[in-house]
Amino acid sequence: MRTSKRARVLAGTGMFLAVVLSAAVGLGQETRPARPEEKKEAGMATTLDNLMTAYNGESNAHARYVEFAKKADEEGYGQVASLFRAAARAEEIHAKTHGDVIKKLGGTPKADLKKPEVQSTRENLAAALQGETYERDTMYPDFMKQAKAEKNKDAMRAFNHALSAETEHAKLYKEALDNLASWKAGKKDFYVCPVCGYTVAKIDFEKCPVCSAPKDKYEKIN
Amino acid sequence: MLASALLPPPLPPWDGIHPLIVHFPIALLLAAPLFVLLGFLPKVGRGFALAGLVLMALGTIGAYVAVETGEAGAELVTRTPEIAPVLQQHQNLADAVRVLFTILTVVWAVLLFGPALLKNKKLPPAVPVVAKTVFLVGYLLCAVLLANVGHLGGRLVHEYGVQAWFAK
Repeated sequence: MRTSKRARVLAGTGMFLAVVLSAAVGLGQETRPARPEEKKEAGMATTLDNLMTAYNGESNAHARYVEFAKKADEEGYGQVASLFRAAARAEEIHAKTHGDVIKKLGGTPKADLKKPEVQSTRENLAAALQGETYERDTMYPDFMKQAKAEKNKDAMRAFNHALSAETEHAKLYKEALDNLASWKAGKKDFYVCPVCGYTVAKIDFEKCPVCSAPKDKYEKIN
Repeated sequence: MLASALLPPPLPPWDGIHPLIVHFPIALLLAAPLFVLLGFLPKVGRGFALAGLVLMALGTIGAYVAVETGEAGAELVTRTPEIAPVLQQHQNLADAVRVLFTILTVVWAVLLFGPALLKNKKLPPAVPVVAKTVFLVGYLLCAVLLANVGHLGGRLVHEYGVQAWFAK
């Protein structure tokens, strides 16, 4: 009688432990983030894919803004042309940074450069603002989440640099669009960080607010 | 359990080590004025004054490391409109504070060792006391700035949830 009670207690404890253990294993499997290779097999985007997308986007944005700047000059919007040139330089820096991380991960940066669709300066500004807003609100935040999940610090840094710069670009495009008539006369000075592409109209800091590069490294573009 | 507790924790990378470093300069530099004050005591004061100098020197070195690691860590922080101004203020003030404490450490060293170097020239006895008092007042003002740097850092972490890259 005594032995069977002990056996029942042991069996019960064993079952309880088995249930807890299997639940823990099951939960662990459910919550563990998928590895990059698993994501690839499942058709999901990995950080390397995201870097490729970003590289392609930044390369095309660079080409587009160069053309937009020419158009703005043609239409007499000298200050808007300066802004497009500064933003083009920033996008070039981002493309290079993304490319470097892609190479570090063993990939080859490739861009499918499309012929830019150039319209009037007002429409070009609106299109640029729309693109930057998408990158600021959707694309880069999602890419950063993914890079964080994959613990890819280099990618996180590259995406964060781009995100900070695109946020400023969006602000500057909005300002230009809202005051287009006053953005005509002459040229305007903009300053671009050669490390992170952060773009400002006025340097009121000692170090780059994003990457801490000294302010005298900033490139003046007009 | 005991075996794992005896293993040292993983060391965070340079851009994730800021939270580990930053409390040392704050504690050392805020403790130093107490030793400066005790340095006014007759006979035993000299030892306290020297201890104050050691605390200042260590705290200032810590401040340089804290600023450098903070800048590295800040590159991974997403600058939302709420976070950006606080982070900027934190960085600017931290930069200024490390320069101020470098100056204060040098001044305190001069006040301690200067009279010994001026053996032949006799200073009126009140001069060192007045100089040290002025120094202490200046130090306390800088300590307020340092406390504000810490407060801004605290806001970033506890109000806005900014996190360093953590080693697991």
